[in-house]
Amino acid sequence: MIYAIGGVVIYLALGVVGFLVRPRWLCGALAILAGVASLALWAPGFPEAILGGTGWGISVAGDPLALGMWALALVIHGVVLLHERARPGAFHPLLTLLVGTCLATVLSRDLFNLYVTLELVSLLSFLLVGYDGKSRAVWASLQYLILAMVGMTLYLLGVGLVYGKLGTLSLSAIAALGSGFSDPAVAIGAGLLVAGAAIKGGVFLFGLWLPPAHGYAPTGVSVTLSAVVVKMGVIALARLAEALPVGSASVALGVLTGFGGLVYALWERDLKVFLAFHTVSQLGYMLIGFGLGGEASHGALLYAVAHGLFKGLLFLAAGQAIETTGEREIARLAGRLAWPTALGLAVGAWAIAGLPPLAGFTAKGALTADLLLPMQAVLVALSVGTAASFAKVIPLLRPGPTREASSGGVMVLIVVLVGFGLWGFASRPELRQPGKWAEAVGGALGGYGLYLLLRRVRPRLPRITLDRATAVALLGAAALVAGILFLG
Amino acid sequence: MDGMAASALAIALVGLGLWTLIRRRNVIWKLLGLNVAAGGAILFLVAVAHRPHAHPPIAGLGPGPSADPLPHALVLTAIVIHFATLALSLVYVIFLTERRHSQDVHKLEEEP
Repeated sequence: MIYAIGGVVIYLALGVVGFLVRPRWLCGALAILAGVASLALWAPGFPEAILGGTGWGISVAGDPLALGMWALALVIHGVVLLHERARPGAFHPLLTLLVGTCLATVLSRDLFNLYVTLELVSLLSFLLVGYDGKSRAVWASLQYLILAMVGMTLYLLGVGLVYGKLGTLSLSAIAALGSGFSDPAVAIGAGLLVAGAAIKGGVFLFGLWLPPAHGYAPTGVSVTLSAVVVKMGVIALARLAEALPVGSASVALGVLTGFGGLVYALWERDLKVFLAFHTVSQLGYMLIGFGLGGEASHGALLYAVAHGLFKGLLFLAAGQAIETTGEREIARLAGRLAWPTALGLAVGAWAIAGLPPLAGFTAKGALTADLLLPMQAVLVALSVGTAASFAKVIPLLRPGPTREASSGGVMVLIVVLVGFGLWGFASRPELRQPGKWAEAVGGALGGYGLYLLLRRVRPRLPRITLDRATAVALLGAAALVAGILFLG
Repeated sequence: MDGMAASALAIALVGLGLWTLIRRRNVIWKLLGLNVAAGGAILFLVAVAHRPHAHPPIAGLGPGPSADPLPHALVLTAIVIHFATLALSLVYVIFLTERRHSQDVHKLEEEP
């Protein structure tokens, strides 16, 4: 435990020192080294322990979930550092602090400590989203801020209710009490906690701040937010599902966000906002997996890491494309990308469509392995829809004559994605069956067919505004509380 | 004030604040509403700490039961975090007012 906490402390300290030291990226690089060393020392995990004394303190634990998220966060931080190394000012120190806070979040096993780390994560994200001072990004950031504050208010009420009834904030102590929802106050509290985490995590209908914030942020920030930060809300929900019987609520949220994000992604024309809606949709896989628990939660963890890698790659390539051409619309970018960027987009799209042999295939295979038929059908439908919405990116994959000063980030992520996929093949023999491959390819082809069918359809989806997003989030929270209270 | 009354007041504050957040079009009003709501949540934590006939959780205040000290510690943290978030959001409002010359949500939502 001491190594993990030490790693977090060094990470945060280097983030603070980074404000004073030049070159700006230096402390970020040192922090990554410290993080890798700390991870190597505490892997493969440590049992739950109480930090800060005997009896009173914050519970922390290093489980596989924390391990996977640490590895992902460190890789993504390295890639963003490569891409944004020339950026002056407070960017790199803030980024280091943000990643350090994420590392702390995944270790935490305490309701209130989760609140504190999640708030810190958001606070640093707000600063980074609006970092370039473009008014659209600042407005997106302010929307994020307002909705996150709503979420955290609900979460705090939930903390009060649960603590008032159960007398503890430690998630494992709550799980050990095993009282379930014998007391309606605990059920309401659990509903508020889940709603707060869902708003924070950008789950569809709760956290509609996510698409503009991820879409309009600077490239490196979009990568970090979509690959790492968005997982923090999911982790909070997964931890809650371990302690309180809210697994079915998490599955319901997963189905909702899976399809909701997908519908918007199908008709979105702005490249980065399109990718952001996909992030909303893909949260669904993780929430369903963590909500079901058992083997599925192992698959959900693999999916969370794989999603971080390929979505990081997609956002990085998209950001490079937008930076070089100055265009954001998918249709206008066709044939104008330099080849490394186009390759990055191609590999990312290949992985997100779940095609072998990349990480997306491995993770989806692990997630769907032991599911019941209705849940498998949901996941297959989501896969087909994902492939369908990515079909419109295909014209972008033909590289044009554009030249760009490419960073090595795209190549690093491609190598990691392929490595992850191959590791999956080595460790899971069932993925080598031809049937699985045929299934994946069939899903992608079905998606292309769906794309051809839907190409002429132009529905008018309701515009997402701040007022609507807030109202919908609150109504969703009320529905969630009522659902948990009456349906268990 | 006993625990139930404080809880009821806290929940009323949260409701009022969230109502202001949704109904008002001006961003500053929205932030004020949020602040009231968060104040309600914080007050709720204080209400949770209530024990009948207890004195404040300070060492040396005499015999008898004290209120639960843990929620009080949490409240301090929550207030600080909330202060930071609110300050940052007001900075963003100043920025947007200078750039877009408006604090009206409907105007801010149009493409710049």
